[in-house]
Amino acid sequence: MAESTNGAQQDARPTGRMTLERVNTPPAQTWNYLRANDITLTVPVHSRKGDVYFALPRLFEGVECGMGQAVTTWAESQAKDAHYVEVKAGEKRDEPIVAQEDTGVMVRAGAEATIVICTPAGAPTQDTTAALVRIIAERESRVHVLEFVCGGSEQRLDSVGIIAAEDARIDVRQFFLGAGTTAAGLAVALDGNRARLELTCRYLGREQDILDINHVVRQRGRNTRCDVRESGVLDGHAKKSLRATIDLVHGSSGSEGAELENVLILSDDVTNKTMPVILCDEDDVAGNHGASIGSVGPEQIQYLRDRGLSVQEAEELYVRALFDEALICAPTPQSRAAVLARATDVLGSEVANDLVEGLGLGDAEEV
Amino acid sequence: MSERTEKRTQVADVDRSLYDFTYSEEGYERYEDGLTPDIVRAISEKKDEPQWMLEMRLAALDTYHAKEMAPNWGPSIAGLDMDHISTYVSPRTKQAKSWDDVPDDIKNTFERLGIPEAERESLAGVGAQYDSEIVYHNMREEVAKDGVVYTTIEDALHDPQWEPVVHEYFGTLIPPADHKFAALHYAVWSGGSFVYVPAGVTVEYPLQSYFRLNAEGAGQFEHTLIIVEEGADLHFIEGCSAPKYYEANLHAGAVELFVKDGARLRYSTIENWSKNMYNLNTKRARVGADAKMEWVSGSFGSHVSYLYPTTILQGARSSCEFSGITFAGATQDLDTGCKVILNGPHTTASVDTKSISKDGGCNTFRSSVVIGRRAEGARATVSCQSLMLDDISRSDTIPAMDVRNATASVGHEATIGRISDDTVLYLMSRGCTEAEARTMVVGGFANPVSKELPLEYAVEMNNLIKLEMEGAIG
Repeated sequence: MAESTNGAQQDARPTGRMTLERVNTPPAQTWNYLRANDITLTVPVHSRKGDVYFALPRLFEGVECGMGQAVTTWAESQAKDAHYVEVKAGEKRDEPIVAQEDTGVMVRAGAEATIVICTPAGAPTQDTTAALVRIIAERESRVHVLEFVCGGSEQRLDSVGIIAAEDARIDVRQFFLGAGTTAAGLAVALDGNRARLELTCRYLGREQDILDINHVVRQRGRNTRCDVRESGVLDGHAKKSLRATIDLVHGSSGSEGAELENVLILSDDVTNKTMPVILCDEDDVAGNHGASIGSVGPEQIQYLRDRGLSVQEAEELYVRALFDEALICAPTPQSRAAVLARATDVLGSEVANDLVEGLGLGDAEEV
Repeated sequence: MSERTEKRTQVADVDRSLYDFTYSEEGYERYEDGLTPDIVRAISEKKDEPQWMLEMRLAALDTYHAKEMAPNWGPSIAGLDMDHISTYVSPRTKQAKSWDDVPDDIKNTFERLGIPEAERESLAGVGAQYDSEIVYHNMREEVAKDGVVYTTIEDALHDPQWEPVVHEYFGTLIPPADHKFAALHYAVWSGGSFVYVPAGVTVEYPLQSYFRLNAEGAGQFEHTLIIVEEGADLHFIEGCSAPKYYEANLHAGAVELFVKDGARLRYSTIENWSKNMYNLNTKRARVGADAKMEWVSGSFGSHVSYLYPTTILQGARSSCEFSGITFAGATQDLDTGCKVILNGPHTTASVDTKSISKDGGCNTFRSSVVIGRRAEGARATVSCQSLMLDDISRSDTIPAMDVRNATASVGHEATIGRISDDTVLYLMSRGCTEAEARTMVVGGFANPVSKELPLEYAVEMNNLIKLEMEGAIG
C-alpha cells in the first residue's frame, strides 16, 4: 500500500475497469429518453485473489443503500476490510466516527453518535474513491451523519443506508462541493413508529462537474416524519441530477413527508435535472414536495447592486455561503481541511482565510 | 337490432347504464384478430388511400414489431394480446350528415349519450365515430362559410385541395417511431377528424368528436389532425366511452395539433372508456409565437391508461395551460400527466392536475418539463394534488424537470393526502350524510378543472364523479 501526498492510501494491486450500470436508480422511474433515471459509472477493479475479507455482520446485508446493490457489491469487493463500530446502549459518543471504505455502525438503543464521511483533502490523486456506509439506529437513538465530498479524486461514490427504529432520530447533512464526478445515494428506512429524518443537502457544481444524487426515504412506521431540503448552485458546464423519493408505505398511517429543492443556475451551459417523487400507498398520510429552479432575480440583483455588490460578487456570496456552512458543520480536522482546500480552489486563498477567521478557527494553514 | 342487455360477458358494476349498453355486431364488417401486413393492406385498400399512406402504414407495422415497451416504468399491459384484438370493425353504413340517416342502433347510442342534443344547443359541429369508422359528421353552415374545414382524415385524403395538407402534416408531430403504440396506430389507424381553421377566424362554438367503441375485443385507432392558422381560435372537444366487457379492448389514437403564430386552441377531453380498456393514446401540440394551447382533460375510465398530452412551445412568448383530473377506482391503473417542452424565449407553461384514488385504484401522475438552452426567460409551474379516499388505493407522483437555461424559472409543488375527518364532521353536523360530505369535498376538489369545461360537459364530469363515488363509503 503506497501513501499519497495528501495522506490517502494508494492501492498498488493490479487494476482493471468495470462498468456499473443503472446506478442511483430511484424506486419509481420515468421516461428513459429523459436520461434522468440513473447514471452509468466506470470504476476500477482491483484483484482480490488471495485476500481474506472481514465483512460486516450479516445483519447489515438488510440495509438498503442509496446507490443500489451493484455499487454495494463493487464497494465490498474493493474495500480492504469492513469496519464495524458499535455504540453501546445509552452511550453518548462525543468523538465522531470516521467512516472508511466499507463501514457498518450499530447505534444501540438510546445511544447518540456522529458519523463523518469525507473525501481526502486537496487535488485529485486517485481515479476513484468510494464510501459504503450502513447504519442501524435502534430505538430512541440519535444519529448525526455528516458527509463532505470535496475532491481528492476524479470520481467519488458515496452510498449510504440507514435503518431507523422506533423513536430514532436521524439527521444527515451532505455537502457535495467536489470537482469531477460525484455520485451519491442515501436510503433511509424509517421502520419504527415515530422515527424521524432531517436531511439537508448542499451542493456546488462548476466547470465540467457531474453531480448525481439519489435520496430515498421509506416511511414504514406509524407517525414517522421526514423533512428533506436540498439546495445548490450550478455554474459552468455542470450537469446535475437529483432524484428524491418519499415512499409512504402501506401501514405508515399518520406519517408525513416533505421534500424541497432550490437550485440556483448561474450559466446557460448548465444541465439541471430534478425528479422529486412521492409514492403513496396509505391514505392517512401527508406528502408534499416542491422544487424551485432559477437564477438570481433582477430585483434581488438590484437590491444587492444598491449595496455596492456586482452580479459576480453577489453570485459568489451564494457559493461562499455553501463553504461557510460546510466549515461550520465539519467536526474533524480532516473534514475541515477538505472543505478548506476546496474553498481555496474555488474562491481563492483570501476568501478561504476569511472563512476560517470568521469562524474563529485560527489560521487556514493550521486548519 | 335488439339490445343485448342480457349478454353474459357484460359485467355488472355500479349503475353505469348510461355508458354500459351494447348492440349486436351482426352484419358488421370485422377484420380477423391480430396484426399482419395483409390486414394493414386491407384497411388501406378499404379506404382507397394514396400510396404514401400505405407505405407509411407498412413501415409503421415493422416499427411496431421491432419496438419494445420500456421495462422499468408504467402499468402492466400484459393482459393486452394483439392476437385477440380486431383492428378494424365497421358498421356497414355510410357517413351521414343528418342523424335521420344514421342506423337506428347507432343513432340510439349517441342519443343516449346526448350528442345530437349537445349539437343542437351548443356546438359548431359534430363528428361521431362508431368502432372504426365515422358514422356522422356535420358542421354549421356559417362556420363552413368562414372557411373552416371539419371532416374525416379519409375524406380529406380524397380531396385534391386537402390531400397535400394532410400529407404535409400527418405523422410529423407524432412520428411512427415515437413509441410502440404510436407505431401500431399508424399501421392501422381509421377514423378521426381533420380540422382546418383559416387565419384570423374565431370559431364561436366548440367542435366535438365523440368516439364510441361498441365491439368486444376490438381496437379504436382514430387520428385527429387540427391546424389552427395564424390568429385563429378554436375549442375542440373530444369525448369517448365504451360498454364494459371481460375481454380487453384497445384505444391507441393519435392527436396532432398545430397552433400557428398568435392562434389559440383549447382541447377538452372527457374520457370515460370502460374498465376493460387499454387506453394508450398519444396527443401532441406544437405552438407558434404568441400562440396559446389549453388542455382540459378528465380521465375517468380505462383499465390501464398511458396518457401524457405533450406541448412543444416552439415560438417566442407561446404559452400552455394544462388542467387535468384523473379518477382511478377499482381495477384501474391510470398513468397520466403531461409533458411540456419550452424551446422558445419567454414561453410560459402552467400545469394544474388533480387525482383521486379509491377502491384500490392506482393513480400515477407523471410529467416532464424540459427547458431548452434558447428558452430565455421561460417560466413553468407545475401543481399536482392527489386525494386518497381509502387505504387500499395508491397514488404516485413522478415529475421530472430538465432545465438548461439560467434565466428560466421552474416551480413545482405536489401534495398527497386524504379528506380530513374534521371536514367530514363539519359537513355532517350541517345535515349531510358521510357519503354526501365526501362527494361534496371531491366535487370541490375537482371544481378547478370542471369550471374550465363548457357547462354541459362540466355537468357530465360532475355526474361521473358522483357515479364513481357511489359505493365509495362502505
